[in-house]
Amino acid sequence: MEEKGRIGIPRALMFYRYFPLWKVFFEELGWNVRVSDGLDKRGNIVYLEDSCFPMKLLVTHSLVLKTQVDYLYLPRLVSLHRHHMMCPKFRGAPDIVRLATDGMVPILDDLVDLRVKGHSMRESLLKTGKRLGAKEAESKQAFQKAEAFFLNFQKRWLERINNLPIKQVFDLEAPEGVEEPEKTFRVAFIGHPYNLFDPDVSKEILTFAKSLGMRVITSETLSEREINAQLSDLSKEVYWSSGREIVGSLFHFLSGGVDGMIFLTSFKCGIDALLQELIRRKLKRSGKVSPPLLILSLDEHSGREGLMTRLEAFRDVMEERRHEFNLTYVRST
Amino acid sequence: MKVTFPHLGTMHIFCKAIAEASGIPYIVPPETSRKTLTLGVQHSNECICLPFKIILGNFIEALRMGADTIVMVGSGPPCRLGLYDLVQKVILEDMGLHYRWLTIPPRLTWQALWKNYEETKELKKELSWKNILLFPYGLRLGWKKMMACETLEKLAMRIRPREIQKGETQRRLKKALSMVDEAKTLRTLDQALERGKRLLQGTEQDVSRVPFKIAMVGELYTVMDPHINRGVEQKLGELGAEVTRSSWFSTHILRSLRRNKADQASERVRFFEASRAYLGYDVGAECNVSIGEAIVRAQEGFDGVVHLMPFACMPETTASGILTRVGKDWNIPILTLILDEQEIEGRIQTLLEAFVEMLQWKRKAG
Repeated sequence: MEEKGRIGIPRALMFYRYFPLWKVFFEELGWNVRVSDGLDKRGNIVYLEDSCFPMKLLVTHSLVLKTQVDYLYLPRLVSLHRHHMMCPKFRGAPDIVRLATDGMVPILDDLVDLRVKGHSMRESLLKTGKRLGAKEAESKQAFQKAEAFFLNFQKRWLERINNLPIKQVFDLEAPEGVEEPEKTFRVAFIGHPYNLFDPDVSKEILTFAKSLGMRVITSETLSEREINAQLSDLSKEVYWSSGREIVGSLFHFLSGGVDGMIFLTSFKCGIDALLQELIRRKLKRSGKVSPPLLILSLDEHSGREGLMTRLEAFRDVMEERRHEFNLTYVRST
Repeated sequence: MKVTFPHLGTMHIFCKAIAEASGIPYIVPPETSRKTLTLGVQHSNECICLPFKIILGNFIEALRMGADTIVMVGSGPPCRLGLYDLVQKVILEDMGLHYRWLTIPPRLTWQALWKNYEETKELKKELSWKNILLFPYGLRLGWKKMMACETLEKLAMRIRPREIQKGETQRRLKKALSMVDEAKTLRTLDQALERGKRLLQGTEQDVSRVPFKIAMVGELYTVMDPHINRGVEQKLGELGAEVTRSSWFSTHILRSLRRNKADQASERVRFFEASRAYLGYDVGAECNVSIGEAIVRAQEGFDGVVHLMPFACMPETTASGILTRVGKDWNIPILTLILDEQEIEGRIQTLLEAFVEMLQWKRKAG
């Protein structure tokens, strides 16, 4: 098929979950998908407003792409769940990028709001397909393929994240990595996907963790039921879906199955700031013996060295604990 | 039972009136001070917004003074305000403070009523029939007091830039508000309001002055509470600017009761529509209104806009980014003030002085 043009997807925010879906969809429709690279060596970031680090990265990535592509794909992600919603910053994200790019490139910003009928990811992509001049049947077929690919990608998630270098996890052409040797610790990494899997935010903490003998486990592997079960005793419903995922998976892993937990947040993240306080206090009050928890707050000024020291110390804590409680490592995935 | 509530502008005046008129014992938390803030900061996370910290501080102080029932306005998504109670409850429990919590629902839905019923079940046992019968009267008195406070504050905003002796209006306003506060019945309240108005109008004024017109927009808590914004409204007034704002208790209460036909509410709809050129979706809280109000004020010929927000506020961060562009497009100076727990009163004074000076140059030049 002849190429119709180029669509740019900024490597930021929900790219770190839905990229496989988006990429296959646009490629099936005959478009070339271009993704921005990480930050340059000097780590220059451009931003409009004094927002959180992931938002600043979104603007930076979009500015890199603006001269290279015909369209920017940046859906307005209001809600990705039937009852719950995303952070309010996502609602204005396409507008912020539109201002930042000075209208130099058209932005495909169709609404995704699962709480309302007619705005599912599928319907949003079909609308985008229509804007790009594709026939409805073509779009539907493309989405079917994309969805199948995406589900398959999610199934292989744990292997990918553990066997591939972190920069290649979302490189869909990358060969399936080699099976890593048996690890001593199972560690749950909790946080927004755009914090955990973006090397510019997390400073490749996952790579370093793996080299320290930790097997990475993420909340992607948990079902919604398992997450909700942990949230039922709160006095009020947490209405951000990402926040639910964080609190729910954290309490889920607390009850066992892992040797430790690392909660990665970025400075100025409103959701994390509030929920962090809730988690800390709840843990303190429950008084139960639980695996150790490390909360790391990162921003554009964080250095790698400090992170490494803390991670090493964390491994020592887990080791100590294993000796103390004479825990045996249960092999399972 | 001893009821308490957080501070927000003149809210304590009418909350107190409701409790007093219906014979419910209450404790007004000590005026928000450095100590309040320190308490709030100490027991929360650095990136939680400033209103959370101050409200928490108010509660801690009130509970330590002997209050046992917290009354707090609830709110909904997507802003963090809607989950304040979830986290604050855990924090207070962790501190070993005992309390009961009563949420005033932001919107009257069945769900909210049910939740309220659950919460009040216990409390009702402690209330006498007299309390319940007097409550509607208390509400009416409270509403009237709220409107009286707003009338006085609006009057003071007009007089302040014209006063001859600096600070005179503020002194008189304080006195007038305390007269309203002291009124016990609806009849004496009317008299108190009249006396208060006369007192304010008695300020010596220079009517020949043409003050700058500045609109205050932004997150409602920072716009409405002089303790949080370190008296931006008063400072601007004393620098010779007539300040306008659209955030009042009545605006927000009428809005949540869905009385959209009221003038103030329809003003908000106008602001919202104006923001569409820049923002394609309702971001939540005051974000769209802040942007829209800045645009509308520019069209109305205002000299400047002051945008207030707490540090790391989720919706207003988006607004601040867009407002920079609005300022350029509409040729109106916009000053964004981000407020946090640091000692920033001096800095705010300097910023405001510079802002007003810039307006003076602008006026001279064109």
